[in-house]
Amino acid sequence: MRILDSMFNHTVSGLTKALDLSWRRNKVLTSNIANAETPQYRAVDLQFGRELEEAFHTKNAQQLARTQSSHLDLTRNSSAKIVEDLAGATKADGNNVDIDIQMAQLAKTSGEFATAAQLIKRQIGLVRTAIRESRQ
Amino acid sequence: MAISKDLKGAFDATTIAAAGLSASRYRLDVGAANLANMETPGYKRRDVFQTAVSMPAQGSFSSILDRNTLSKPMVYAVLEDDSPARMEYRPNHPQADEKGYVALPNINIVETMTDMMSASRLYQANATALQEARSMAGEARKILTMV
Repeated sequence: MRILDSMFNHTVSGLTKALDLSWRRNKVLTSNIANAETPQYRAVDLQFGRELEEAFHTKNAQQLARTQSSHLDLTRNSSAKIVEDLAGATKADGNNVDIDIQMAQLAKTSGEFATAAQLIKRQIGLVRTAIRESRQ
Repeated sequence: MAISKDLKGAFDATTIAAAGLSASRYRLDVGAANLANMETPGYKRRDVFQTAVSMPAQGSFSSILDRNTLSKPMVYAVLEDDSPARMEYRPNHPQADEKGYVALPNINIVETMTDMMSASRLYQANATALQEARSMAGEARKILTMV
């Protein structure tokens, strides 16, 4: 079971994190695009930090138990955070969204998401192959 | 795992893009009404005002601490322009005053056309963002067919 363990503890959990982060980044970019002409709106971006890298290398850390629904969910706590995006120039109305940069980033993020999803499918496919072959 | 948690977010990207579509269509509609009424005596130009509404923080520790949040655009007012009307001398016009002047709206055709073009471009960008979110959700669903 060593192979399955390492597959699901490192590769799949890392890829799941990649899906999660690119999904969240897509949301942030959509917010910028939707507000491309809203006066005073400031562009934002999602900064991953080391979160993605760590997901591939470390095992699940010790988690604090949530015994009441009012407790904050620390498992959802992550080092990725929404930061100000200063890529575009500020226009006269105080808005600094550069729609072309945002569209390019959106295409990139959705490509990354599709890649991670494909890789997860491949990993699951490997396990299926192993199960099928052992039956013969 | 993380994927079921993400699907809740699916609606967020869609909601934001839908708000963007709605705001830019609103601007197109008002621009079209202004253009169509350029020669209507007594009509006043309408201006669209939009603002960004922030999404509430979503329960996790980091999102509550985070100052920067996502926001969606919202049209909060459509106001009539109150600058003096453009007076044009047309003595034969049935709505002319006693001096022969007709009160026409203050509409700059170039400005209105440019604004409508940028609104329509923004509409397309939002439609693309919506499609992108849908195709990502589709990719995630395809993983399910493997299990």
